[in-house]
Amino acid sequence: MAHKRWAREMPLHLLVWTGLAFVLVFCYGPMVGIVIAFQRFLPTNGLFNSRWIGFDNFRQIAEMPDTTRVIFNTVYIAVMKMVAGLIAPITMALLLNEIAQKAFKRTVQTIIYLPHFLSWVILSGVLIDILSPNFGIVNDLLGSLGMPHVYFLGDEKWFPFVLVGTDVWKEFGFSTIVFLAALTGINPALYEAAVIDGASRWKQTLYITLPGIVPIMVLMATLSLGNVLNAGFDQVFNLYNPSVYSTGDILDTYVYRMGLQNFQFGVATAVGLFKSAVSFVLISVSYVLAYRFANYRIF
Amino acid sequence: MNRKRMASWALVGTLVLSAVLSACTDNKNSSNTSSPSPSSSSTSSPAPSSSASAPAMADGPLGKYDPPITVTTVRMFNSGLEFVKGQDWDNNVYTNGLKDELGIIVKNQWIVDDQQYTNKLNVSMVSGDLPDVFEVTLQQLQLLVEAGALADLTDAYNKYSSDLTKKSFGEGDGIALKAVTFNGKLMAIPNGGTTGREDSQFIWIRKDWLKKLNLQPPATMDDVVNIAKAFATGDPDGNNKKDTFGLNLDYNLFNGWAGLDGFFNGYHAYPYNPGGPTATGLNLMFLNKGGQLDYADIQPEVKTALGKLQELYKAGAINPEFSVMSGEKSAELATAGKVGMTFGQFWNAGWPLNEMKSKDPKVDWGVFPLVSADDQPVLKTSNSITPTRFWVVSKNAKNPEAAIKFLNFYLEKNYGETRDENYHSVKQDGKDIATFGLSPVLGGFSETNQNDFYAVQDAFKSNDPSKLNPTAKGYYDGIVNYRKGDLKAWPNELMFGTEDGSAYGILGTYKKNNEFMTNAYLGAPTATMAKNGPALKDLEVKEFTKIIMGEQPLDTFDTFVDNWKKQGGQQILNEVNEWLKQHQ
Repeated sequence: MAHKRWAREMPLHLLVWTGLAFVLVFCYGPMVGIVIAFQRFLPTNGLFNSRWIGFDNFRQIAEMPDTTRVIFNTVYIAVMKMVAGLIAPITMALLLNEIAQKAFKRTVQTIIYLPHFLSWVILSGVLIDILSPNFGIVNDLLGSLGMPHVYFLGDEKWFPFVLVGTDVWKEFGFSTIVFLAALTGINPALYEAAVIDGASRWKQTLYITLPGIVPIMVLMATLSLGNVLNAGFDQVFNLYNPSVYSTGDILDTYVYRMGLQNFQFGVATAVGLFKSAVSFVLISVSYVLAYRFANYRIF
Repeated sequence: MNRKRMASWALVGTLVLSAVLSACTDNKNSSNTSSPSPSSSSTSSPAPSSSASAPAMADGPLGKYDPPITVTTVRMFNSGLEFVKGQDWDNNVYTNGLKDELGIIVKNQWIVDDQQYTNKLNVSMVSGDLPDVFEVTLQQLQLLVEAGALADLTDAYNKYSSDLTKKSFGEGDGIALKAVTFNGKLMAIPNGGTTGREDSQFIWIRKDWLKKLNLQPPATMDDVVNIAKAFATGDPDGNNKKDTFGLNLDYNLFNGWAGLDGFFNGYHAYPYNPGGPTATGLNLMFLNKGGQLDYADIQPEVKTALGKLQELYKAGAINPEFSVMSGEKSAELATAGKVGMTFGQFWNAGWPLNEMKSKDPKVDWGVFPLVSADDQPVLKTSNSITPTRFWVVSKNAKNPEAAIKFLNFYLEKNYGETRDENYHSVKQDGKDIATFGLSPVLGGFSETNQNDFYAVQDAFKSNDPSKLNPTAKGYYDGIVNYRKGDLKAWPNELMFGTEDGSAYGILGTYKKNNEFMTNAYLGAPTATMAKNGPALKDLEVKEFTKIIMGEQPLDTFDTFVDNWKKQGGQQILNEVNEWLKQHQ
């Protein structure tokens, strides 16, 4: 009897083991590298022969003059991105959902999805040109409307918002698709009942559509919480410059300049470990919160 | 039931198989890219000297190995690289020459562009996949020496170096040799480190714009300021739009192109700390002030010059976007005809200005000597005397002397009796294709270009180019062709053409008057420099940028000086003065 069950479930076991082996080798294996955070790491000495220095790398980070400011920037930019990155695609999904014409809906969906595939290296080149105060098209438009020129990439006040705006523009098409998928999961009978009760389109959206996608919203928000210390290295590194360090410098770019460039691998790893620890705590908290308040279990 | 089970097995089979296969390809790829040549790493244990002399014996600086040996290396290229038709990295004048004449087969483990080279080499260092011969930065050199990963080249140098090689090591008052000697052992071949002063700056100005606005070339720094303002306000490009700038600048602030080094020199200030996001903040400039070393960038003369820059910015003579522009962007500004003056080094004629003349014959960039703000002579910042890059040999290399032989071969083919211009550059379709950079190890002599310049001038005077060496003959022909109307040859004219209108002509005058300011600190970056240098660089570039843009009053310079000292600068000053005490 047991033998028969074993034979039946064997393929499933194999499937799980392969996946598990992959995770072990490629996700857990490299974690050995965490030891670098506690060493004065010399590349040529390998992982275990460098000098152990305890928490000196962490101390060095804490003593760097701009660490507090940089952590603030990171959280500030990341939180803005998370909020805007939820609102924009939900709005877009609701709007697209109201469109009856399939062809138009699909076209819009594809167009807003496309920037997701471009790398920041390319986009930054484009953005620097179109946001230029002298020769850029955006400022030409502002000028023709009688507004003063804005120095988007060189002004400390504007730079974080440029980061958020461009990031949302690049990524919201991707999330829109997720929300659109969630929308199709809502039972049409609910809408029919609402129409019979005399609910307008707006009331339907408010009382059926939105509550219907709350679980997905919670899921997306929870997953993005883990990124609260990832404000986007690629984007910032390709767009920033010395005059916006005070508001645009994030943990990753700061560590790149302070440590990695000068071969201080220990410092860079220490920051990575710190970020992972914070993300772990936040994800755990958000998991509990999601369960308590939205009665939604991710795992 | 049966069929269902078959299907699920098949699914599992494909998944597992694809997983295994992809893992295999992964492995294969990674071992391909970093391929540790088995010959060099596995048979490395016996003493290198004995294995070197065992089968493949090759005596003398240019002796041939028989049977041939294989030496691995890694290469970098920049975006301007061009090959002679039919040649590539593995098949060119150097690989063939080394194989045929020295019996050395050069194997390139990997080839990347110069932006990625340092990172890629770091990966090789971590994974223990170092090639036999490779190029490193000063920091990498120190790391590798500290880790004991390099071969001691002392014996190889004594036994195999040619006279030319010995001569090239003696260049630069022996400073280069000092930089590669650790505990009395020769650990590297210096790249650079010459007294050629080729990093001094000049003023590059659009002469056609000067003419249009009835201006004279600058004689003082006030002239420079006035020309810059006139270029911004006087519509020098004649399109009735205020869209031009007088002085080119980008976020690096200090650079061989569009840097401010020469501008500051005019006010007897010698700051140097490039500000771009990839700058390290480690190459600081120190002045010897009455037996004490002091940081060049915090001197009062710097403040004076910053005041002038602030004035220029306010007058619209500097592009307000400079603080977001990289060197490539400031080059585009120049090639687009939007800026009429820039400070820079001799090679600016070769890049980025090289093609402007042939695209629009009216464009007329000229090169002028730096000028002074008063009656004191201008000293030019020049630190090329200390090498910044090095060739090293892995301690696992079977034939460490091969690196020395590479250099012997390079110098022989470029300066020796069997000199052959094909090893320097080849003419193809009217263009000069440089080949010298293909050598695995390069060297040279401080005054090569300068002597070529004088030889070209003599040839013009005597109307007899027959005595010129092949390289100088190339410059001579280029100048002759340019004057006949071949505008593509323009860079030759601006670099070697005349005594007062070419970079080497002006550099010759600089050297005759010996007007240079050299870093008074010649040691490696100190501990505090490595730790606090990047943050101090950020502080400096932020303050300088804000002062130039008028976001902060000029007097905040004094606060910057205090902050610099407080945030680790004083510690750095103590360390470099300690070094000075030991080296006096």
